[in-house]
Amino acid sequence: MAGPVKRLVQSGFERIGLLLERVLGGEGNPLAYLGALTIFLFWIVLVSGVWLFLFFRTSIDGAYDSVEYLTHGQWYFGGVMRSLHRYASDAAVVTLVLHIVHEWAGDRYRGKQWFSWITGLPLLWIVIPLGITGYWLVWDSLAQYVALTSAELLDWLPIFTDSMARNFLLAESVSNRFFTLMAFLHVIGLPLFLVFAIWLHVFRISQPSINPPRTLMAVSLLGLLALSIAFPALSQGRADLSEVPQSLGLDWYYLAAYPLTQAWSPGAVWALLAGCSLLLFIAPWLPPRRTPPVARVDLDNCNGCRRCADDCPYGAVTMQPRTDGSRYEVEAVVDPALCVSCGICVGACPTAMPFRKASALSPGIDLPDISALMLREELEQLASGLEGTGRVIVIGCDGSGQLKDLADSATAVLMPRCAGHIPPAYVDYILSRDLADGVLFAGCADGTCRYRLGQQWTEARIGRERDPHLRARVDSRRVGMAWEVASAPARTPAQALAELRGRLSALQADQAPAPRPPARGWVRITARGLGAALFAVAAGAFSSWPVFELLGPEESVLSLSFSHAGQRVSECRRLTQDELNDLPPNMRKPMDCPRERRPLRVELRADGEVLYQRTLEASGLWSDGESTVYARFTLPAGTHRMFVGMADSGRETGFDYRHERAVTLRPGQHVVIDFDPANDRFRIREE
Amino acid sequence: MALIDWKPEYEVGVPAVDAEHRAMIEMINDVYRELEGTPDPDTIEHALGEIHSGIAAHFALEEQMMRRVGWREYEEHKANHEELLDDMRDLMDVHAANPEQGREELQRRLADWFTVHFASFDARLHAAFPDSHHH
Repeated sequence: MAGPVKRLVQSGFERIGLLLERVLGGEGNPLAYLGALTIFLFWIVLVSGVWLFLFFRTSIDGAYDSVEYLTHGQWYFGGVMRSLHRYASDAAVVTLVLHIVHEWAGDRYRGKQWFSWITGLPLLWIVIPLGITGYWLVWDSLAQYVALTSAELLDWLPIFTDSMARNFLLAESVSNRFFTLMAFLHVIGLPLFLVFAIWLHVFRISQPSINPPRTLMAVSLLGLLALSIAFPALSQGRADLSEVPQSLGLDWYYLAAYPLTQAWSPGAVWALLAGCSLLLFIAPWLPPRRTPPVARVDLDNCNGCRRCADDCPYGAVTMQPRTDGSRYEVEAVVDPALCVSCGICVGACPTAMPFRKASALSPGIDLPDISALMLREELEQLASGLEGTGRVIVIGCDGSGQLKDLADSATAVLMPRCAGHIPPAYVDYILSRDLADGVLFAGCADGTCRYRLGQQWTEARIGRERDPHLRARVDSRRVGMAWEVASAPARTPAQALAELRGRLSALQADQAPAPRPPARGWVRITARGLGAALFAVAAGAFSSWPVFELLGPEESVLSLSFSHAGQRVSECRRLTQDELNDLPPNMRKPMDCPRERRPLRVELRADGEVLYQRTLEASGLWSDGESTVYARFTLPAGTHRMFVGMADSGRETGFDYRHERAVTLRPGQHVVIDFDPANDRFRIREE
Repeated sequence: MALIDWKPEYEVGVPAVDAEHRAMIEMINDVYRELEGTPDPDTIEHALGEIHSGIAAHFALEEQMMRRVGWREYEEHKANHEELLDDMRDLMDVHAANPEQGREELQRRLADWFTVHFASFDARLHAAFPDSHHH
């Protein structure tokens, strides 16, 4: 089932990527740098966060006012910083999620690539709580909602016996200490985890892209700045625990699961989150599995020149002391746990030379299932079927199934593992031995190379910037790249093929092809502006829209919240002499005091209608602790006859404590019913 | 020009490099001998392909060693290597285009080719690898 979906998503990414490249140029395509872009956004969040922290006051009374000061008193800078802080965080969720989907669709999470996948996923679990604690710190009505709902979610977990949500019902119970804890988590604790997790995510990759290209950085920063100025991030009214906001502008990037807590239940939300996480975590090992054999070193053809080790995108090839007694110092060694069989090492090997015919074509390093020899044989066979004047051999890769459609009488498609699998000498061989008139490297869309560096190395080798390079004698006008976008807009493989054919026939007619007119300045500027706008929309669209309706216009909220210990099951009693005699001497104490407590029976009625009726067992391993009641109800505004009763003595009918009176609820009002332990009576608190 | 004889001054003192130089002389001499008789064009072409592959790997190793010690004249050597590789590819194409006619020229240029290479990897480089004798 996942197969067709994955292909659909993958081709969607390719199409959109191609479009973005046309608009923004290869350097500006965010889809090619989702991971690096996320890290760049973290930088923006960090820098703006430092500024916010300088002015933030970590207390219930100070937090809201200090943020208001930043937003309005310092709108020209602090306000922009706050908005950047929010929108860059929102954008980071978008890029992070897209990055995950992109790697999944491109099949870059299985097999040997499991490590990057597994170390990347926890980033989501760090980033989302970072956002949540951030919204908490502002202490506006959204923060109030976030605090209460977070507490309800955490209360569901069997960690704390008492209810954390009770801290956020009454103004008197919210403590500055809690604020300090949140500030610590948001400013130090979670960011530390984040940095460590990013390091873990990239350290095993050779040459990871940590910074996106400058164009992309500029475009995204511009987009965020424009968004910050046009729609500054604002607080939503000071937190007031005696009120429930009727509606909130919710940041759906971070808080999408929160409304579900009320709509379903905290347990259901946790089940959903745990289920999705589990699925993501085991994804690399879900069927179908396909592991081609890893690269193999042939010591007879390896002199230890290191080129394979230099080019391996996975750090899977290392140079180690020689084991065959030859005069060479080192030899290439493949780590089967890291090798993904991309063949990029073969493309780097100087002995992967198709002109070798006296000995078997066995390079120093080779893929057993698609060997250098097999590639040459297939090339020769493909070439023998080509006819016409513009014969082209298209070189595809694992990531490009559809390329086969290009094949016709003048076009043949060779499918190595990766463009980087083909040594440049093969291009020399094809053109000098007249196997074809041109070579087109196609395959993965630009920047989305399935094997990370295949395109980059191919471009550098064919461009004669990296060894082994295409010999100067080979006419590079006969070599095309479908993904090549440095100066020209990106093209589909079919377009690139047509373009190459055009060049070939121009060469045939011995005339130079007309140079492409350079893109005009204003076109490029407009394109970048469009890109920035696009980025702003992605970052800001769901930042406080759609509005989340917590309550209807004529509704109010009633919370029932208290802790109380039931009576002891039995009173202390003096043991009889016979009972004492039966005990070992060291355990003979005169009094027997059972610790076990009775369950609480609690009932809440409004206008005679039962809202809550439950029997709660005493907490603790020995059933000797307090029972905790926490429940929230939405009631129509107006006057209601409230009744609350509790039995703690184990009686079957009636109550040991009861309270009944009329309560008038304003729309949006939050009323708490609790139990005053000092006076042993219920209170209905309407402050 | 006759067969290339190994000369003491060819010795650079780096065992891996010396071994590859000897192997290369061997290969060139083989082609040379082949050309003396009645050569089979395919045999020559294939042998040239092997030499091209061998020197490509040889240069890759030398360049890597030079980079490792930060050899001052690396860029010159590198350019020299590229020229030599292009020469060899020219020889291969000349032979492929006209096996009969190119014969004597090939003999001459092969030997020249090798001595030119020695000008590029000389004893001074050896000094940069003080450890090489102990391997």
